Amino acid sequence: MPDVTYREAVRDALGAAMRADESVFIMGEDIAEMGGSMGVTQGLLDEFGPERVRNTPISEMAIVGTGIGAAMAGMRPVVEIMYEDFLTLSLEQIVNQAAKHRYMSGGQVTVPLTIRTQGGAGWSPGAQHAQQLEAWLVHIPGLKVVYPSTPEDVRGLLWTSIYDDNPVVFFEHRLLYPVKGPVPEELEPIPLGKARVVREGTDVTVVAIGPLVHRALEAATKAEEEGISVEVVDPRTLQPLDESALVESVKKTNRAVVAHEAVTRMGFGAEVAAVLQYQAFDYLDAPIERVGAKFAPLAFAPVMEQYVVPHAEDVLAAIKRTVGK
Amino acid sequence: MANEVKLPRLGQGMEAGTVTKWLKSEGDTVEKGEPLFEVDTDKVTQEVESDFSGVLLKIALQEGEAPVGQTIAWIGDAGEEVAEARPAESRPAPQREQVSDTEKVSDTVSAPSPARSTTNGRVKASPLARRLARERGIDLASLQGTGPEGRIVAKDVEGAQARPPAPAAAPVGEVERVPLTNVRKTIARRLTAAWQAPVFQLTVTADMTRANELIGKARELNPDVRVTVTDLLAKVCAQALMRHRDVNVQYDEDSLLRFPTANVGIAVAAPQGLVVPVLRSVERLSLAEVAAARADAVGRARDTKLTAQDLEDGTFTISNLGMFGIEQFVAVLNPPQAAILAVGATVDTPVARGGAVEIRPILTMTLTVDHRAVDGAEGADFLRTVKQFVEDPALAL
Repeated sequence: MPDVTYREAVRDALGAAMRADESVFIMGEDIAEMGGSMGVTQGLLDEFGPERVRNTPISEMAIVGTGIGAAMAGMRPVVEIMYEDFLTLSLEQIVNQAAKHRYMSGGQVTVPLTIRTQGGAGWSPGAQHAQQLEAWLVHIPGLKVVYPSTPEDVRGLLWTSIYDDNPVVFFEHRLLYPVKGPVPEELEPIPLGKARVVREGTDVTVVAIGPLVHRALEAATKAEEEGISVEVVDPRTLQPLDESALVESVKKTNRAVVAHEAVTRMGFGAEVAAVLQYQAFDYLDAPIERVGAKFAPLAFAPVMEQYVVPHAEDVLAAIKRTVGK
Repeated sequence: MANEVKLPRLGQGMEAGTVTKWLKSEGDTVEKGEPLFEVDTDKVTQEVESDFSGVLLKIALQEGEAPVGQTIAWIGDAGEEVAEARPAESRPAPQREQVSDTEKVSDTVSAPSPARSTTNGRVKASPLARRLARERGIDLASLQGTGPEGRIVAKDVEGAQARPPAPAAAPVGEVERVPLTNVRKTIARRLTAAWQAPVFQLTVTADMTRANELIGKARELNPDVRVTVTDLLAKVCAQALMRHRDVNVQYDEDSLLRFPTANVGIAVAAPQGLVVPVLRSVERLSLAEVAAARADAVGRARDTKLTAQDLEDGTFTISNLGMFGIEQFVAVLNPPQAAILAVGATVDTPVARGGAVEIRPILTMTLTVDHRAVDGAEGADFLRTVKQFVEDPALAL
């Protein structure tokens, strides 16, 4: 299996989907000639032309709204919101329109729209360009939410998202773009709602998403040196959530840590913790630990930013608390 | 409620540590993360930082060793009560310990009562521990938690499994309290005293072929009284005691009382408990007379009609459990007597006789001897005589 970067894997999925189906096209700010602010769509204009690789005005509301309209008209648009912080500008379209049309039309209308976006801290982009807002979207019935952590997952899941008949909000992480990983020669679609056991273990389950999957793996390696066997599970799809996979893992290990880069309070991890405590109550041998950012805006100052976001050490500390070490 | 400061696990495999120094005193304000005390492990001395902010209310272990997880201090709000030590003697011994609402903390941490994993009467246990305890019928309140904040975790319940199972689900109903009778009290007192005597045991076997023939003949000649093995042994032992007068004694702290006659006690399981009526001057009695005296004493013992005199002046005791099929046992000394013979059942046993294996009725006897009164060789010599007399009763004449 060749190694590709997360960025190349996203581009690969977009190109493959556009090659396979005329109805797939992409829209976003500076995605054409410039190839996107993160370089994800470089080269796609040359292959598919300006009809299918479209630059947009700086209006997130318009970008998503146009995507919804195209989707309702039979296309499979993939729109890009440059920073997930700016999803907030398009929330009316996402929450009140995209998520609702299929329901309100009694199924007569579908919205096969994919909204790609990226975000995350770790490179000092400041308070307005580094947030992790997946929790805002998983709260909305009618949306699917995906957050892959590896090149293989991002390629397979983006393909499936594009061909899903429901609106999907697809989160990518800025720091994951250069991360390399093996992918199958041929693109293999990955079903939504299927978690992946990234690392097997017996003492603690760490449910992690996005960059925290990688932090959790670092923590697991360190924990192993201290005799603690850590299982890392990546839900990959936040909505729908593969509850049974998470519950099964915790039934095996009897302890759980939930980790994401978003602030802990009211975060996605709170929902996971609630699912686990309810479905695996009689299997828990320790309180479920949560790892996430402190409840504070992210600073430009790197030291301050690093103070707020969670690290492998934080995951390790939580792991140890669950086993009483 | 005050936070408990526990001895931390500072490395893999650390089970205990020694507190060598406190960097704060009682009453000092402590910030979370501040160095609080120093711990010596097998490997290093290490400063331990406080996990809590507040006032160091009480140090339970100033210096010394403690197991990992033991509470060694409390941090809380200024003026907060860390309840006083409970005087041990004020605890009513037989009653089950009450877990009060205001959980008290013992002052004497060097020998702590198990820190109950309870708050306000509720046992603090993980859901998994609760399920395991439920499935295995273990009372969580009987366990000591080793998890954070004393929580009972699965490991604690699994550990409890290894212990002998608790008395099986008690039959429905109240536990009956039966006050000790005076006889029971006497038995308890005397046997407890007996247990303090430095004793040794000697065991021999004896071929009962001839003894059984003699008993058979005696029964034929005296149909009125049923002569038993016990009677023969009482007679034989009396004769042996007369030859080994140093064994026919009572131990009286600063002196030995040597008796002119062999007064042999017979252990009797009477309804009210064990009694040992004494047959006096057994060396002077015929086998039939021994049997008659024994039958009379045992009868009165069973009817609880023994007098104090019946129980006095014994110099030796025979305890026979052979009728229960017991082959061999060790009897507890019957002070102030110096020796007691534990008699088992006669069992047909293959033995070597003249280079061939023969089946013989073999009796096993174990002599318990008070070493303060009788030495090993004397005891052994006495028992050898008993064996000879049993195997050839004519020698006892």
